[in-house]
This record gives sequence, C-alpha cells and structure tokens, in this order.
Amino acid sequence: MGGIALEPIKRSSQEQLVRLLPYIFGLLLFTMFPLLVPTYLQTMITKVFVFAIFAMSLNLIWGYTGLTSLGHAAYFGIGGYVYAILVTRYGIESFWVSGPLSILATGLVAAAFGIVALRVTGVYFLLVTLALGRLVYYVAVKWRSMTQGSDGIIGIALPNLGLPGFTWNATYFCFFVLFVLIICYILLYLIVKSPFGYALQGVRDQEPRMRCLGYNTWLYKYIAFIIAGIFAGIAGMLFSQYLGVFHPDHTGVAMSTVVLLMVIIGGTRMFFGPIIGAIVIVLLEYFASLYMPARWPMLLGAVFVIAVMFLRGGIGIHLVRLWEKVINGYGSVKGCVPL
Amino acid sequence: MSLMAIHLLNGISFGMILFLLSMGFSLTLGLMGILNLTHGAMFMVGGFIGYTVVGAGGNFLVAVLSGSIAAGLIGLVIERLFLRRIYNRLDDQVLLTLGLVYIFENVILWIYGGHGRMTNPPPFMAFTVDIGGRSFPGYRLGVIAVGLIAFIGLWWLIDRTRIGAIVRAGMDDNEMTRGLGINHELIYGAVFALGAFAGGFSGAIGTPMMSFIFSMPMEVLLYALIVVVVGGPGSVLGTLIGALVIGMIDALGKAFIPDLASFTIYIVLIIMLLFRPTGLMGRTMA
Repeated sequence: MGGIALEPIKRSSQEQLVRLLPYIFGLLLFTMFPLLVPTYLQTMITKVFVFAIFAMSLNLIWGYTGLTSLGHAAYFGIGGYVYAILVTRYGIESFWVSGPLSILATGLVAAAFGIVALRVTGVYFLLVTLALGRLVYYVAVKWRSMTQGSDGIIGIALPNLGLPGFTWNATYFCFFVLFVLIICYILLYLIVKSPFGYALQGVRDQEPRMRCLGYNTWLYKYIAFIIAGIFAGIAGMLFSQYLGVFHPDHTGVAMSTVVLLMVIIGGTRMFFGPIIGAIVIVLLEYFASLYMPARWPMLLGAVFVIAVMFLRGGIGIHLVRLWEKVINGYGSVKGCVPL
Repeated sequence: MSLMAIHLLNGISFGMILFLLSMGFSLTLGLMGILNLTHGAMFMVGGFIGYTVVGAGGNFLVAVLSGSIAAGLIGLVIERLFLRRIYNRLDDQVLLTLGLVYIFENVILWIYGGHGRMTNPPPFMAFTVDIGGRSFPGYRLGVIAVGLIAFIGLWWLIDRTRIGAIVRAGMDDNEMTRGLGINHELIYGAVFALGAFAGGFSGAIGTPMMSFIFSMPMEVLLYALIVVVVGGPGSVLGTLIGALVIGMIDALGKAFIPDLASFTIYIVLIIMLLFRPTGLMGRTMA
C-alpha cells in the first residue's frame, strides 16, 4: 500500500443544496430588502454594498495574504477621483469608457505603490502603506486645479449606462451596486479558491516554506496587492457615484482604518466576513448619526477596542458555527465546511 | 545668510521636540515590539493638559510636569489594561491603539472644541535673541538646550546604567533576559509609561511653538514613525540624528517649497525604506 489516495469529496444533491442555502438566503435578503424599505434606508443599503466590495478587497491582502495595509483607502480614492475627474472635467459621460479607465488607473497606481511597499515586511509594510496613503491624500488636497482641493469634486452624476429611455432612481442604483457586488464576490471567490489563492494562503502561513517549494512569493504578493487595489478602486468609483461628491477625506487614514475595522469585525478568515463587517459598521454609523453624531468617533474607537479584546476571529466565525449547529442538529450533513 | 541660520535653528528646535517625541515611540517599538499608535495622542494630551494648567494661572514648569505625568499614567493604564494581553500580536496592537486614538481625539474635541490652542512662552524665556539682525525666540533656544540635556540623560540611562543594560538585553533576546530572572512585566510597564511620559513631555514643551488641535495625533505619529525609520528603532543617537534630519528637512521645506512641504518627509521615508530599511543607526528589528 503506497499511501492513502485522496478522493474528491462527493456530495449528494441534498448536501449541495444545504451548502448553497446560506447563499440563497443571503441573496434573497439582499434583493428583497431594498424593495421593502423606504428610500433613505435604500441609500444606506447601497452604502453597505459599496463598503462590502471595499472590505472584501482588503481581506484579499490582509486575511488571505497576511499583509496588513494601513493605506488601502488610497486605491479607493484613486478609483473615485479618476472617475469623478473623467466625468465632471473631461465630460466622458459613458460609464463603459470612464468606468474601465478609472479601474485601469487604480491598477497602475497599485502596481507602482506595490513595488515600494513590498520591499519591506511586517511593521514596515504597515508604515509604508500608511505613508503612501497619506501621499495620495496630500495630492488630493494640494492638486487644486485637478481635484478641487479640500472642497472636493461635486456634481458627479449616476453612471450613464447608455440604455435608451432609462432613468435612475435610488432603487435601481441600489440594485446596480448589488449587481457589481455579486460580480466582485464571484470573481474574488474564484481567485481565493484557485491555485493562486491557495498559494497566497501558503505565503501568509509559511513564506519560507513556499519559497523552498519554488514559488516566487514576492510576485504572488505583488499580484494580490494589485488585485486588491483594483477592487478597492471599483468600490471607490461606486462610492463617488453614490455620494455625487468626492472629497480628500475619502482617501485618508480614517477611511483606511474604518475598512480595517469592517474586516476584523466580520472575521479575516471567512470569505463573507467583510460583508458582515460592512453591514455592522454602516448600521452603527447610521444609528450614531441619528442619536449622537458628535460622539461617533468615540463609539468607533470603542468598537475597535471591543473587536480586538473580545471578538477574536470576528462575527463571521460565530455565524458559521451557528449555521453548522442548525444543520448538524438535524443530523443531515456532517462537517459542513465553512464556505 | 542670517535668514538661513534662522531656518536652521527653527529646524533644530523642531527636531528636538521630535527627538523627545520619537524616543518614547522608539523605546516601546524597539524593546517591547509594540507598535503604539497612541503615541501621537500622548503628545496631544500632554500639550492640552499643559495648556489648561497655564490657562488656570499655573507655573509653566508645573504645566509641563503635569502634562507629562498625566500622559505617563495614561500610558501605564493602557499597557496594564490592554496591551499586556496582546504582546506579539501586531495586527491587534494596531487596531486597538487606533481605536484608542479615535477615543482620545473625540474626548479632546468634546472638552476643548475644534479650535487650535497655543500657550505663550513662560515669562523667564519670553525674550528674543538677535541673530544677524533678525530676532529669534529665546524659547526655541531653550527647547534646543532641553533636548540636548535629555539626549545626554537618555544616552547615559540606556548605555551606561544597569537598567539600560536590561532594556538593551530585552531588545536583543527577550527570552534569555527573562531566563536570567529579570522581572520583564515590571520593565515593560515602566518602559511603556516612560515612553508615554516622553510623548506627553514633548507635547507640553511644544505648546508655545505650535498650535494644538484635536485632529493632530495621526500627523504627529507619522513624524515619530518617520524619525524612527530614519534613525533606526531603539538607538538614542540614531533617534537624535533622525529627528534633527527630519526637523531640518521639514523646516527648510516649509520655508523654500511651501507648496510641496507636506510631501517632503514622506518622500524621505520612502527613500529610506527602499535603500536602508534598518535606519541610519538601526539595531536590527525582529
């Protein structure tokens, strides 16, 4: 006997269905909810979707590659600014031109910054991403002729999709962002579950070993860095459309730290975790803005402390355990693997 | 020529403030491996408490002392209550201390409002010195003197005393130091409190030189980070050199290229990290 042959796990159609249930449930929730609530809640849900994309992009380099970035809002900001400038200054109305161009621009900036940031690791990676983020912020403030400085760019229209006779309303835009979120989710999921994605997790856990196995770990990290930047750029672009204005603060340290918080709240080891984090933080911000707007930063700080001291692993992992308990309680599926 | 001398002196005096600020940050990072992002907030707290004491009619020296002691106590509480539980967990330290920065900023905003605050120099230092026909505030010369005294004191403490030897040994081989029976809990708590004290002290003596506002901690922190990256963590002389270099670049940048002054220190940081990530005088970091 030469060893144990590894057979792919065969799942019956019933098990397949159980595995898909959370997705069907989540999708139903996300599609039905915006239809049932008033407009002001719809805009809040749109914001959740935008930040879900942003947080998922950070999780690719943080949770899956082990690189803690304190300047991820730089790419969010580049995506938002490039889109806003193309539309308001150069009058490129069509989304099919301005959208891909801003995504391309974000990718190029991420490629340039990645070369600098990935020269170093650990604490220094954190510091250099913080400084690079700060650099983008200062460019946004100082390059007044292009970015309107600290006034911000105003009057960014909702994307022109080129459909005849189509006019936007809050519900349509909410579904548009949801559609983009679903596409990003699927793309990132495919990346994470590909050989490339597993190599990234190998780099996170055992970089020297991966190097011994012949992987060019630097290249893997670099590509992950660029992909994460691109998805953050998509989120930034959607955010500029959502708000209609884009401001240097949207590319500042505060934005970078809020998205870190979303990921840690949801859980870095769960693929869907950042979405949970985005929901929690956007909801919290909404309620804080109703009852104690001036104390929001303090509440946010308290959430950081609580998340670190008491919520190890994030909410996501508790949800998965709860789900397993529900399923295994019926005795139908054993060892339902977290998705 | 005298204008250049003024700019250089401004840079040196700002560099001395940066030295005191960064020394605390460098000690906690070098010895304990803790990335304490609240350090900028300690600077701010020290400054605002000094401002309050001076405003209430207190002596300037009392103000400086109370500002730095308050910051030291806050640091001690943070270390005992939170950071002690998350040694060696860099991500958690970053998130926790970031959260605390938000809290400090908001408390200061709550108490003092959104305006910048400054104090006057104490009466015994409110003179000006004539340098080539231009006047230079005597207070800044005083800050340079205080910085030099602190440098000698810290250098003596770290390089020449038993406590300093324990601290340096802890940086190089933490487990071995503990194995030799050194009470590392006590040393860690004391070093962290000393670091926060230095942050508060630099803030309190900085109040006559710059405007203090609730939103400053991250900006201040970045200066400390860059000084430590340039000088190398854990080295007293390295921190002094790094602080003077950054103080000078900052002052000259603001004087000659005001439009680009915000970028200069970041560009220095990026160049340093690319070509000499251990810093000019750096001990290697684990």
